[in-house]
Amino acid sequence: MEKFKDIIRQYPFLGFIIAFFILMAIPSIFFTDLYQSHLSSLIFINIIVAAGLNIVKGYCGQVTVGHVGLYAVGSYTAGCMFMYLGASLWITLPVAILVTGLFGVAFAIPSFRLEGPYLALATLGGGEAIRLFIENGEFFGSTYGISSISQPELFGITFDTPDKYYYISMPVMLIAIYFSFSVLRSSIGRAFMAVREDPISAAASGINVKKHKMLAFILSAMFAGAAGAVYAHLPPGYIHPNNYTVIEMVTFLAMVVFGGLGHIWGGIIGAVIITIVYDLTRPLYEYQLFIFGLTIVLTILFMPKGIGGFIDKYFIDRRFKKKQAVADK
Amino acid sequence: MKKIKIIFSSLVFTASLLMSTIAQAENIKIGVSFRMLSDVGYKHGMLIEDTVKMWNSQGGINGKKIDLTLYNDECKSEKGVANATKLAYQDKVHVIIGSSCSSVTLPMVPVITKAGVPQIIPHSTSSKITMTGSEYIFRVPVSSRFYKIVQGKFTAEQQGKKIAYIYVPDQASMVFAKEMMKYMKDEYGVDPVYQVQAGEKETDFRSFLMKAKAANPDVIVLSGLVDETVRMLVQSYEVGIPKSVHRVANSVASKVEVPTNAGKAAVGVVYSAAFAASDTRPIAKKFVKMVKSKYGVTPGHDFSQMQDLLDMLKPALEQVNFTGNLAADRNAVRDSIANIKNFTGLASGPISFCAAGSPECRDGNKTPVMIKYTRGGKNWKTAVAGTVTFKPSDGL
Amino acid sequence: MLLKTKKLMKAFGGLKAINKVDFELPKNEIRGIIGPNGSGKSTFFNLVSGVYDPDPGSYIEFDGHDITEEPPHKVGELGLARTFQLLRLYQDMSVINNVMSGYHTLVPYRFIDAVVGRKKIWDQEKVIKEEMMDLLSFVGLADYAEMNASELSGGQRRLLVLARAIAGKPKLLMLDEPAAGLSPVNVDNLMKILMRLKEKYGLTLIIIEHILKVVMDTCSKVTVLDHGEKIAEGTPSQIKDDNAVIEAYLGKKMDDEEMRKALAV
Ligand SMILES: Nc1ncnc2c1ncn2[C@@H]1O[C@H](COP(=O)(O)OP(=O)(O)O)[C@@H](O)[C@H]1O
Ligand SMILES: [Mg+2]
Repeated sequence: MEKFKDIIRQYPFLGFIIAFFILMAIPSIFFTDLYQSHLSSLIFINIIVAAGLNIVKGYCGQVTVGHVGLYAVGSYTAGCMFMYLGASLWITLPVAILVTGLFGVAFAIPSFRLEGPYLALATLGGGEAIRLFIENGEFFGSTYGISSISQPELFGITFDTPDKYYYISMPVMLIAIYFSFSVLRSSIGRAFMAVREDPISAAASGINVKKHKMLAFILSAMFAGAAGAVYAHLPPGYIHPNNYTVIEMVTFLAMVVFGGLGHIWGGIIGAVIITIVYDLTRPLYEYQLFIFGLTIVLTILFMPKGIGGFIDKYFIDRRFKKKQAVADK
Repeated sequence: MKKIKIIFSSLVFTASLLMSTIAQAENIKIGVSFRMLSDVGYKHGMLIEDTVKMWNSQGGINGKKIDLTLYNDECKSEKGVANATKLAYQDKVHVIIGSSCSSVTLPMVPVITKAGVPQIIPHSTSSKITMTGSEYIFRVPVSSRFYKIVQGKFTAEQQGKKIAYIYVPDQASMVFAKEMMKYMKDEYGVDPVYQVQAGEKETDFRSFLMKAKAANPDVIVLSGLVDETVRMLVQSYEVGIPKSVHRVANSVASKVEVPTNAGKAAVGVVYSAAFAASDTRPIAKKFVKMVKSKYGVTPGHDFSQMQDLLDMLKPALEQVNFTGNLAADRNAVRDSIANIKNFTGLASGPISFCAAGSPECRDGNKTPVMIKYTRGGKNWKTAVAGTVTFKPSDGL
Repeated sequence: MLLKTKKLMKAFGGLKAINKVDFELPKNEIRGIIGPNGSGKSTFFNLVSGVYDPDPGSYIEFDGHDITEEPPHKVGELGLARTFQLLRLYQDMSVINNVMSGYHTLVPYRFIDAVVGRKKIWDQEKVIKEEMMDLLSFVGLADYAEMNASELSGGQRRLLVLARAIAGKPKLLMLDEPAAGLSPVNVDNLMKILMRLKEKYGLTLIIIEHILKVVMDTCSKVTVLDHGEKIAEGTPSQIKDDNAVIEAYLGKKMDDEEMRKALAV
């Protein structure tokens, strides 16, 4: 077991290959109906957004409440490219990632001057502005939305049902997570944290604060863009400005907070749990908002580092005890 | 010890889940997805729950109990699509009721069509929905294609054809006026006696109204947003356009601000709907009374359409011979709903469906009602001004 | 000269926090900076390290580079490290991550390699981590590597900021009151570690310190600031006898006995 852990630590790529094959097999072993595939795709999409949000918010400490606007940019880049050019996911996905990355630059600029609640307000304005722009733009289908966005084809298979689309959303999610892990476990991730903890001190260590803020915003925007594009093509392929409001933003934030801000698994754990809990509580719609509000408040009060921090604490404490036991002997 | 506890409790949980699915196997399942968070939306959900409870207490449908699954979609397509998928594949319902917002119903259609589950729409009006050609979709409300031309038809048939138009540059206001002009030209060959587009953020419309008055029209169309509509109505009396000239506003006329703020000037203004709370038919009076006492609101057409939908659905389900084969049962439910002819309920006109998956067959209500203000101010009042009946293919 | 300032000036509103300070520091020296509270010592550090922009007419040179206008991270890249009076620890990061982020400028791999997650990154990260663990053992914090920095005691925190500043292998290390608030035993310990670090890494040091004994014992030369101006410079024993310094500290001349007391604190 220890040996296996070491190998994975040395070749993280291997871990992802293994995860890929496990996730490939899951539907045929465990899934009993199409909805589970649909829900899985939604979870994967949320994971991508939350992982990106964790980079900028959790690691780099930049409060952004406009991220849902970037998610919308990804969706609408894909949607419009389909509507006007008939482009498929294979083209819209990379373009959406690039375009959203550019929007990330615009979101980063206020972070050079503003902090905390002021930055939150600025980014909130940015996100809402994007949604309103779409809602009032004929070009974007305004309040009619864009419908029948095509599903991708590969090897003669059209991924046009939830069970097939699982095999699109899943690899995209894994690749996104892979990038997020690579970045966050490298010196860049450490620099992000240093910027979050103390920008002045970080600069004294030779870390370019502006550059890293910019990087964090661009990276996380690219994640949002990828998620947006994957969502746009999700069967039945329909996007509408109503899906990119402050409520969705709060949900994304809840995922990151609940999973553990600044924890490498934070966004992922949060996205999985919150999406599943949301689904299970569908029949309790009267209490859903209340349940979510309560979860966030309780998490912040009693588990400020979320589930991720909780798990970490458990492992570190155990390791410490082990060491002490050895020392005592 | 802890582990055993966890295993045990999860076993009990799965067992109870299994039991409940087994127990429900024989029942008829209805799934619902619509916006249930706003105050009124929530009450629509209660109306369904109460009605189905009543059915069950009266012996169900041919002795079969009905299971109801209600999901909220918050008027968000992402939630609506997920709900439809869940209802179709996981909850395995026989029929879906939903949704409120057209932008949610529209993407639900391909989902339920692929799954082969009939869906009846209580609220969405967008004509695009039935134009998808799905054989599984049915609409109780009046389609937007009828609403679009109902004012024109009503005006031409009951108010007059010498029409002056004043409209503001807002998209919806402009479209309303232009569509009406086009309809008048296409259907009746008449041109406007006067037309003008006011400037943006205009507050004084009197010079336009004077010119309109000089053209001596039967009807004057005042198309703007709420505030502008109120101003134009009030100013039309200030410049001395007589009462006998009919004032027509766009769909903002149905908002309470219009009679409240325009006062007397709102009298005579009409708007279209699928149900009027001022309807004097006994069935309507009884319904309004029931909703007021039970749910504490005066029902609009969203309420009445939901009631009509349920009243239509029950006999349709009674016609179905449930075999236990889900796909076959769903198709039987679909065919039974498609068989509904001339259902007369609360709606302003009879509701009929037919077999083909076409808008002609699936836009059930083709008779919007025109409602007019009979008193303005805070205690405004309405009355039925008349109804307009369309041919199934009108407005396509 | 490793560090040189000419006519260094900084005014906050009407207050001249640093006023026309000329300063020169050759390699390998340990320089002390002393002066009463508010005399501009920290401001001097902030100007040199780029945290504050100096007023026009000032000139700062480090290791042959004009750094007058350079932003702080550029100065850091050139090999000038510093600590802060208020520590500015990365509270919510593990001890090892605190130190490893001090290594930032020396990380050998490129951004794109990190994004793609190439294997060599992980090999290099492993090497960096081992090196930083050595540094932690050196300052006696290795056992706490995985702990959150916020869980450390006051003395440990001071050792950690020291380690973090040294992690980047600077040419010049500037310490702003490194021993403030420590018990005498801890002060001794810290200074011992500091001297060993200087030996090991061949550091040049500037130390701002309130505890005059520390300055007198460790520094080869001392610069005295008062009201933003340099009022004296020399060996500790020269400074001890400098009238201007004595006046700045106590406002009056002292006899030998009093003097010895004041400096022995
Ligand atoms: N950012 C600032 N804004 C305004 N005044 C400052 C600022 N930083 C320092 N000062 C003032 O400059 C003077 C010198 O401060 P400082 O350099 O911190 O003194 P010390 O020698 O005690 O470290 C003090 O009067 C202080 O109030
Ligand atoms: Mg100071």
